[in-house]
Amino acid sequence: MKVSFFETVRYVSPQPLPSEWPAPSGAYDPAAGSAAYRGMLERLEYVEELGFDWVSVSEHHYSPRILTPSPIVTAAFIAARLRRITIALLGPIVPHSNPVRVAEELAMLDTLTQGRLVVGLLRGTANEALTYDLNPQEARERTDEGMELILKAWTEPRPFGWQGRHFQYRMVSIWPRPLQQPHPPTYALGTSRESCEFAARHRLGCGVSYGPFEVMAKATRYYREACARHGWTPKPEQIVYRANMLVADTDDEAHALLKAQPNRAPFEMRKGVRDAVSALDARNIAGEARTAVVTGALPTTFIGSPDTVVEQVRRCREVVGAGVLDLSLHPPGSNEVEPLMRALELFGRKVLPRIRDL
Amino acid sequence: MSAPLVLLRGAGEPSPAAGHTLLSRRVRVVPLESPAPAAAPESILRAIEQLGLPTFSLLASGSMSGTALRVAVTAPERIDAIVLETPTAIDEEPAMRELATPTLLLYGTRDPATPAVGRRLAGILPNAHLVFVYDAGATIAADRPEAFAEVAGDFLERHEAFVISRSTTVIHP
Repeated sequence: MKVSFFETVRYVSPQPLPSEWPAPSGAYDPAAGSAAYRGMLERLEYVEELGFDWVSVSEHHYSPRILTPSPIVTAAFIAARLRRITIALLGPIVPHSNPVRVAEELAMLDTLTQGRLVVGLLRGTANEALTYDLNPQEARERTDEGMELILKAWTEPRPFGWQGRHFQYRMVSIWPRPLQQPHPPTYALGTSRESCEFAARHRLGCGVSYGPFEVMAKATRYYREACARHGWTPKPEQIVYRANMLVADTDDEAHALLKAQPNRAPFEMRKGVRDAVSALDARNIAGEARTAVVTGALPTTFIGSPDTVVEQVRRCREVVGAGVLDLSLHPPGSNEVEPLMRALELFGRKVLPRIRDL
Repeated sequence: MSAPLVLLRGAGEPSPAAGHTLLSRRVRVVPLESPAPAAAPESILRAIEQLGLPTFSLLASGSMSGTALRVAVTAPERIDAIVLETPTAIDEEPAMRELATPTLLLYGTRDPATPAVGRRLAGILPNAHLVFVYDAGATIAADRPEAFAEVAGDFLERHEAFVISRSTTVIHP
């Protein structure tokens, strides 16, 4: 089992912030932001020392919750400071990006990091369509086309034009190309049938997140079946499961911490907006419809003492089939950095060495 | 204004696809059925001359692409531009390396078999342009008619300058 630390850049606000997304930009405190990024570096040096395989960064906008609107900038900065750890860029939000630019930047990053890059490509959470004025109804199609264009830009040796539905280029010929050939290990992130099919067709990995094991297993099973239809079998490390983990000295302590967590959606939109976006942005798990917007806190699927968590990881490995765990270790309900550092230490000492060989 | 476009078809090939019909709104399309893929270029050129077309562009699909290229190297001075849809299995001739005629090579992204030919052709023909039509198979003009007609029409009109965008990003002036 490979283990990845999901870095969100802890921003500790000096004042209470409204929960609605987007957070007002004027409430941002530059000094708190500066401390958050400094804290990120210190934390990641520790993460590397503890022996994590990957550090992952993601793309989210207009919110203090995950302070990395540009994951590529974050990844480049981290990569320059850390020596061994693999940088997992999970990932650029494809539908509102320029896919050629993404292909160029990732190729550059792969080369700058001497091949320490893995990439996840995704549609993004429902609120992200609003960030750059994207029609939510077109998000799925733009994601599929954009991902295909990124792969083509990485691998096509001749200058080429792209006559797409949503993207058009008459001349593409990127320099540099990725160091890892034909391209960095790449995952299509998402539980949808479309995402799994895409991954299977292009021999990519698959990434699922946050849902209970049995539910995520529907998607990973669908993915493996789709791969079989395309005549290949994915390796365990081609399935990533991102989840919240709440590890404490005892089960009781962990559950008490979870109880203290406010049941707040990660990117809570005004009701009229939320309902309208949900209606336009169809989502599914291996073909079964699900709502586009998370209305409560994301589930914490690993919770308890180190012993309990190790057992849960074992079950996850069996049920979901994931060979990589991408963990958000931040204790819910706290904005402080200290509890995260304690959780990190506990995980690093008492859990990480025991799940390596699962 | 684009030169008339001779749509070179093999005997018994299906009727022109939706993309060819769309293209005929931008350029005069003259279908011409060749008796066999191996027909002599001279006889094809004579037939086109009899149609009253001193200069023209060529459009061909699949295995007819080789025929179109042989016609082009036989009388390059008469050919304005060439569009090849999913060209397959081309017998390379030395004269092709000298062919200055602007040539568009179209492949669908759902057609895994042929881009290798396209890459080779793009390396041989000095003025070739390789374009992938997203989500099309080998029959691009049928699979993505609008996309096919737009890129082929633009290329026939502007040749290699079709790489310069004419689309506007102005939303409200």
